[in-house]
Amino acid sequence: MTGNEKPDTPAPILEVKGLNKRFGAHQAVKDLELTVSAGEIFGFLGPNGAGKTTTIRMLVGLLKPDAGRVSIMGRDLAADPAWGKARTGYIPDRPFLYEKLTGQEFLQFMAGLYRLPPATFKRNVPHLLELFDLDQWQDHLVESYSHGMKQKLIITAAFMLEPPLIVVDEPMVGLDPKSARLVKELFKQHAATGRSVFLSTHSLEVAEELCHRIGIIVDGRLKALGDMEQLRSLAKDQRGDLEDIFLELTGSHELQAVISALQDRSAQGQLKVGSSLDGGRETR
Amino acid sequence: MFNLLRPFLLSARHRLLPGGRPGGKGLGVLLFSLAVAVALHLVALRVITYFQAQSELGIILSLKIFEMAWILLFAMVMFSAMVTSVSTIFLSKDNEIVFAAPLPPARIFAMRYLTTSFYTGWMLFLFMLPILLAYGRVFDTGPLYWPLLTPTLLATILSATGTGLLLTIILVNLFPARRTKDIVLYLSICFGILIYLMFRLLRPEELVNPDNYGHFIEYLSALSAPAAGYLPPAWSANLLALYLLDRELDLLLLAVLLLTPVALFFLGEAAMSRWFFRGYSKSCESFGGGRRFAGRLSDYRPRPWRRIFHKEAKTLLRDSTEWAQFFMVGALIIVYLYNFKILPLDRAFIQEEYLANVIAFLNIGLSTFVCASLAARFVFPSVSAEGGAMVLLQSSPLSMRAYLLRKYLFYLPPFTLLALLLILLSNHLLGVSGPMWWIALALVLPLAWALPALALGFGSIYADFKAENRAATLGGWGAWLYLLSAMSLIIATIAATTYPAWRLLRNWLRHGAPAPGDLPLLLSALLLAALVTTGVALFFFLKGARALDQLAQ
Repeated sequence: MTGNEKPDTPAPILEVKGLNKRFGAHQAVKDLELTVSAGEIFGFLGPNGAGKTTTIRMLVGLLKPDAGRVSIMGRDLAADPAWGKARTGYIPDRPFLYEKLTGQEFLQFMAGLYRLPPATFKRNVPHLLELFDLDQWQDHLVESYSHGMKQKLIITAAFMLEPPLIVVDEPMVGLDPKSARLVKELFKQHAATGRSVFLSTHSLEVAEELCHRIGIIVDGRLKALGDMEQLRSLAKDQRGDLEDIFLELTGSHELQAVISALQDRSAQGQLKVGSSLDGGRETR
Repeated sequence: MFNLLRPFLLSARHRLLPGGRPGGKGLGVLLFSLAVAVALHLVALRVITYFQAQSELGIILSLKIFEMAWILLFAMVMFSAMVTSVSTIFLSKDNEIVFAAPLPPARIFAMRYLTTSFYTGWMLFLFMLPILLAYGRVFDTGPLYWPLLTPTLLATILSATGTGLLLTIILVNLFPARRTKDIVLYLSICFGILIYLMFRLLRPEELVNPDNYGHFIEYLSALSAPAAGYLPPAWSANLLALYLLDRELDLLLLAVLLLTPVALFFLGEAAMSRWFFRGYSKSCESFGGGRRFAGRLSDYRPRPWRRIFHKEAKTLLRDSTEWAQFFMVGALIIVYLYNFKILPLDRAFIQEEYLANVIAFLNIGLSTFVCASLAARFVFPSVSAEGGAMVLLQSSPLSMRAYLLRKYLFYLPPFTLLALLLILLSNHLLGVSGPMWWIALALVLPLAWALPALALGFGSIYADFKAENRAATLGGWGAWLYLLSAMSLIIATIAATTYPAWRLLRNWLRHGAPAPGDLPLLLSALLLAALVTTGVALFFFLKGARALDQLAQ
């Protein structure tokens, strides 16, 4: 374990059973099964093109599974999408927002879509805007925001809803260190209040630091699932960090050969650079 | 320098010759442009010949038009160059590569000068040339006229672009680049609308009416005032006009004309070296503009329809390119209604009241067609305009049908108002009263309510969430299919009611009251039209909602 203790009463907030999605001849997700309990931060890892974003899009109702079932708090998402969506906050990897709205107007728009009570809105929004240093920019158009500010705005929109489940795709992209730290703390706090976070990321440090359990998806199949201890034993690597385990489980051990080859080339390149700096004299 | 132009030249080659051979699209555009140029030439030939036949007065008038065309060309290219150059110099996507390279700003300016001149001038060059050729043919000019045309046109276009670029470089130092683009865009639109209104309100058709001869002389005396003799377009006009009339070549004018773009190029280059970096740095600032809008967090009320209304209104009204459209719609409505005001009904050979009623009936089609076009411009792209933010709507508890319905309710009042404005005011200007007033209302309102629904339906079925802006979505098949369906619906509705309306109107005009069977027949036709309209709109609206749901397939 990394010190991320799993909550004692694991009532499932998210339950995925036999999830399948195919795009033409390509099987993007195959027989995916997982649960995320109340109070849990679940990390979802995988190489590029492994099926992470497809899975996330099915979890938040953006994509219809070919087979299988996604349940939010015990209720089938396909049967009652509005109910499930009302209980899920989604943070996409790319912050596409309405450029001609101000930050504050965007938050009001999002809150309106989820019918957030005014009291909750007034309690959460000023606090979150202040935390993310967005309070002084709330009346400016989103088009004048930097990428990181847009990302912070969309994270604010998800947290202000206080949803039982937050599904987040690459949360740290474009964030400065202070905001990244803040987001991590918010995830922890969110989980500490009995809510859950489903987190897809390429940052293994973030996953190792935050997640109670981690699922690793490769070629659409869930290759490994468990806490750090369980993953270590699966990877037969009792001392390795998450990067080693990830590389082992995703079949990237040939990476070491590539790294060695690159190091060799780099050493040769240094010799050549040295020779040209010597005024063209050959280094023997 | 050539290397800097390579991306522009190669992109043009790939567009025109995909795979090294002429592509169907490029060939189509070429053929279409050629056809337009030939048509322009033939029309110009006819008009100038007609003027030429009107003795001395006609020649003066045709040369005045000649001068106005040059000034117009210059102004259009200059404004267009100003708008384009904000993008090509300060906001272009390749700026980060080009400006990071070790190149002097002067060379970059030369590259932008040439490419901007091409972008803004090629079409006007192609369309102005056939008109100038027509002048040469009608005036049976000398041999030097033909080789003079291309350098004169090129010098005028390059002077206009040079002026535009110079003004832009200065303006971007005063305002952020995006704001400058907005300002220039507004100015050019206001200019365009002014020209359009001036032209329309001058009533050029009256010039050939002998009844208004006094007015014609007045008009001519106004035109005979010297027109901008210090501007390059006037030099071009004077140079060619002198040759057209007297076969004399003013070498001084020619020299000034040819040297002006060169002088402007060096001025622009100097401005670029002096002010470019400051302006570019300003345009790179992410907080450019820094506009603040009033708003209080306590204003929040949890009503999705209200939030969608606000979002729709704000995203539409704060988009400067949409503002341009609003100005144009305003001008269009003024000219539309003005046309009814000046219709010479009293000069017609049939009874005035009968004619007014016939025109009022045809006006139903015209006004609803205006509504259909505006729905194509504003409502059809509104779904695509959600862009990447569509995922936020899809992942929210709001169903796609509810979302579309709220969008529809947002567009309903302005379209109702527009239809009422067009139909009631034009009927008032035509002096129409009695049954036609009600028939027009009963036909126009259901169509005005159905058209936004139809546009939303097609806009959802053919949504393009990756389109750069609203206007870009109009280039696809969806917009054409929508317009085709809207036109068919309008024609079908009018066709279904023509006979009952005509019968009732005839009896009403002859006997002051309709015949016994007229009213039930007309009411049935109107009811049928309303049902068909509603049915078609509802069908495509629901199909659109389903298409949005199927985005999750």
